[in-house]
Amino acid sequence: MQRAAFSKGFIYLVLIIGSVCMLLPFAWMFITSIKSPGEVMMMPPVWIPEDFKWENYKEAWSMAPFARYTINSIIVTVLSTLGELVTTILAAYAFSRMHFYGRDILFSILLGTMMVPGEVLLIPNYVTLSNLGWIDQYQALIIPWLASIFSIFLLRQFFLGIPQELSYAAKIDGCNNFRFLWTIMVPLAKPALITIVLLKAIGSWNSFLWPLIVTQSKEMRTLPVGLTSFSTEAGINYELLMAASTMIILPMIILYFCLQRYIIEGVAKAGIKG
Amino acid sequence: MKIQLKELSMKFDDVLAVNGLNVHINKGELVSLLGPSGCGKSTTLFMLAGLYKPSSGEMYFGDTLVNNVEPENRGIGMVFQNYALYPHMTVLKNIMFPLKMAKVPHKKAEEKAIEMANLVQIGHLLDRKPKQLSGGQQQRVAIARALVKQPQLLLLDEPLSNLDARLRIEMREEIRRIQQEVGITTIFVTHDQEEAMSISDKVLLMKDGQFQQYSKPQEMYDHPVNMFVGKFMGNPPINMIPVTFDHKNLSIQINGTDEKLKVTSKLNYELVSGNQMLLGVRAEDFVLEKLEGISNSFSAKVDLVERTGRDTLVHATVGNHAIRALVNQDFVVKPSNIVKLSIRKNRLQLFDAETELNLVLGKE
Amino acid sequence: MIQKPTFTSTWKALLYLLPALVILLTFNIYPIIKSFIMSFYTDYDFFKDIVYEYGLDNFTYIFQDAEFWKSVVNTLVFVIGVVPLSIVISLGIAILLNTKIRFKGIFRSIYFLPFVTSVIAISMVWRWLYHTDYGLINYSLGLFGIEKIAWLTDPQWAMPAIIIMCIWKGLGYNIIIFLAGLQNIDQQLYLAAQIDGAKPWKRFMNITLPMLSPTMFFISIVSVINSFKVFDEVFALFDGKPGPAYSAQTIVYYIFEKFYNEWEFGIASAAAIILFVIIFLITLIQLRLGRSRIIY
Repeated sequence: MQRAAFSKGFIYLVLIIGSVCMLLPFAWMFITSIKSPGEVMMMPPVWIPEDFKWENYKEAWSMAPFARYTINSIIVTVLSTLGELVTTILAAYAFSRMHFYGRDILFSILLGTMMVPGEVLLIPNYVTLSNLGWIDQYQALIIPWLASIFSIFLLRQFFLGIPQELSYAAKIDGCNNFRFLWTIMVPLAKPALITIVLLKAIGSWNSFLWPLIVTQSKEMRTLPVGLTSFSTEAGINYELLMAASTMIILPMIILYFCLQRYIIEGVAKAGIKG
Repeated sequence: MKIQLKELSMKFDDVLAVNGLNVHINKGELVSLLGPSGCGKSTTLFMLAGLYKPSSGEMYFGDTLVNNVEPENRGIGMVFQNYALYPHMTVLKNIMFPLKMAKVPHKKAEEKAIEMANLVQIGHLLDRKPKQLSGGQQQRVAIARALVKQPQLLLLDEPLSNLDARLRIEMREEIRRIQQEVGITTIFVTHDQEEAMSISDKVLLMKDGQFQQYSKPQEMYDHPVNMFVGKFMGNPPINMIPVTFDHKNLSIQINGTDEKLKVTSKLNYELVSGNQMLLGVRAEDFVLEKLEGISNSFSAKVDLVERTGRDTLVHATVGNHAIRALVNQDFVVKPSNIVKLSIRKNRLQLFDAETELNLVLGKE
Repeated sequence: MIQKPTFTSTWKALLYLLPALVILLTFNIYPIIKSFIMSFYTDYDFFKDIVYEYGLDNFTYIFQDAEFWKSVVNTLVFVIGVVPLSIVISLGIAILLNTKIRFKGIFRSIYFLPFVTSVIAISMVWRWLYHTDYGLINYSLGLFGIEKIAWLTDPQWAMPAIIIMCIWKGLGYNIIIFLAGLQNIDQQLYLAAQIDGAKPWKRFMNITLPMLSPTMFFISIVSVINSFKVFDEVFALFDGKPGPAYSAQTIVYYIFEKFYNEWEFGIASAAAIILFVIIFLITLIQLRLGRSRIIY
């Protein structure tokens, strides 16, 4: 009995220490972001600033075109997520419910390309986009990301789990393929779709290398790219840098805490099926 | 609506799932498609529904050829084995769905759906989701959804197989009641011969894609056209005893014994291929006596007596052939007793050992 | 139930596939082929899209480039530093989380949090944590009497700095996958083993680990592949430089440098192809090893 209590206490201790390590960077980011420049450099570190300097956020916001970056990030995230959702639903339906020549070969080829690291695609895609004249435009940030093999695979698996008889029943009820997809399959696949949307939105909001490469002007940068250039401008003003970082991280944290069930379960399922 | 199938065939790759089916179904009849799994009964149903395109042959609904008519335009309703209710819609929405697809105004659709729900006695469950219903209730919803468009033909694909034994009997009575109330031509797929016997006006029995027999259930039971039909119908299964036919005396001798029986039924001699035959007698058609000297009978040794309450099943051996006979419960017999068995008048079947066809002429 | 494809059904399916296929063909499949071809461009005009000469020059250049070899070594060090540690730690935490404790969900959410946050933004935070004079990490180490470490400016410490941060960031993902794997293990196995007299450690070695081997296998492949492609963290932590004195230059960073800063498209493509081959080979080796090690 005592041993059980002891081992339980040990488990909590380890988990709590681990959690502190996980949360500390976030906490420290936030604390620093509301410090005065003097407090930032103080040793030993100040844990609770004397007064909360919220104006750091305002200052950081105005030092670089963060408003523009935010708008860009929102546009890119929303459009590429919505676009991917549509292409994924249509393609997953075709791969799971339609019978056509070359279906299995095509699907295998697509799965095979998932093996290739995205970095390999970088250069030819850059060339393609510059030939199209899309460099430094929204098209370059959005269009290459409007379809994802991974999402198609994930949704196809989900669709395959929906009984075939439903489509027969719908057909007899006078519901055509396209309508069946949107009125029956899509509502039923809601959990999978939410996962796909969330993972895509997070990935899109946080993506860095691609926006870095295809944007040139300040006006086209997304938040992460903007932040790296701001970090040079902010220099040693860490309170401003932390304020900016907080602003970028916060939306995803809020999204995460509202819908974490879908994210975590989605990752667990997608991961296991891999 | 009357249905006519002419030389209907379905081929999947090299498998002939249905082979040259010719059937005529009268308006308002309930016909069971019966057979073991893989016999092509579901394929036939799916062709009738328009979900499969036949490889060859013709299907007529009324006088119209429907081979190339889309499912939704065939005027059919269908109930699936797993009911295929839309899980995210309420009962009412499920029943209304076909009307919605047909662009019936919402108000009218709702009225009709409620009317239909009342007919199948689920009027009090309209706001539930399918998951919150029992198997029998889901079944009723599926029937309501199938009937709401007032189809001319109702197709049921093994609708009772997912229910437990008690509910199965209740629902099959329900289906019969609803079918007769609506007066709709109905085709019912099942692998359970008892189910088919109890519910149908006519039974169509299939095996390996081949048509076997199409007749009234009692007729199929009393006069199976071949050994397969004889064996498939009835429980306990029909006794099949190898015999040798004596053309001169019109009698049969049970192989491996001296037991002889006179054949009084008229035989179709055109079908006889040799003198080897199988005597088919249903368990309840034997008459057992303990006395000697009963004419036209043979003797057998009792091995086992099973009492099931209502009646008694006697397992016995004649020569080296096992037979089963149902007798009245007050007939007292013990293992190792010798009994005399005779066969009720006109209740014996003789199957040709080679062609497996029934040689006894039917009533016609 | 078998249904056969027909021309009509193929035509219809194509309509459904069209949007996805246009994008995937242009931006996923074509570039794979193109990248391969580009790696053989030795003399070309990118702007006019004319190739004057093909050859193996890019590959010979890369193989003779000390900088490339350094980036390969750095990447390997990174992979070896991150993958085993990350797996051990996350497995340990997953096992603790899989016991009968309270607040399981909260713990799980906390560990997973870094997964959803921007690498760039979080790297800024770590840059601040790693600060030699005012960083929280050096301050904490100081409490134990450890001298200040120049995490981000001393070439010796740049790699460890990146490794620690990446373990921290990737822990949550592995934990979630491990937890899913653990929950798939039939509890009756443990009861049976307990009745057979197996003590907790024995149960771990004889049931948990073998039953978890497919999960372990999956995680190790994914972690190795992802670790080989590390870039964002390096870029952000060292302010757009591959670490002090190139001490944290990885293969992807090398590709990025050749492509983005030096406009050597052919060399960059060749390096990307080499990266692909390396990842491919290592995955193959892992699959081989995995096949003999996966118990069921």
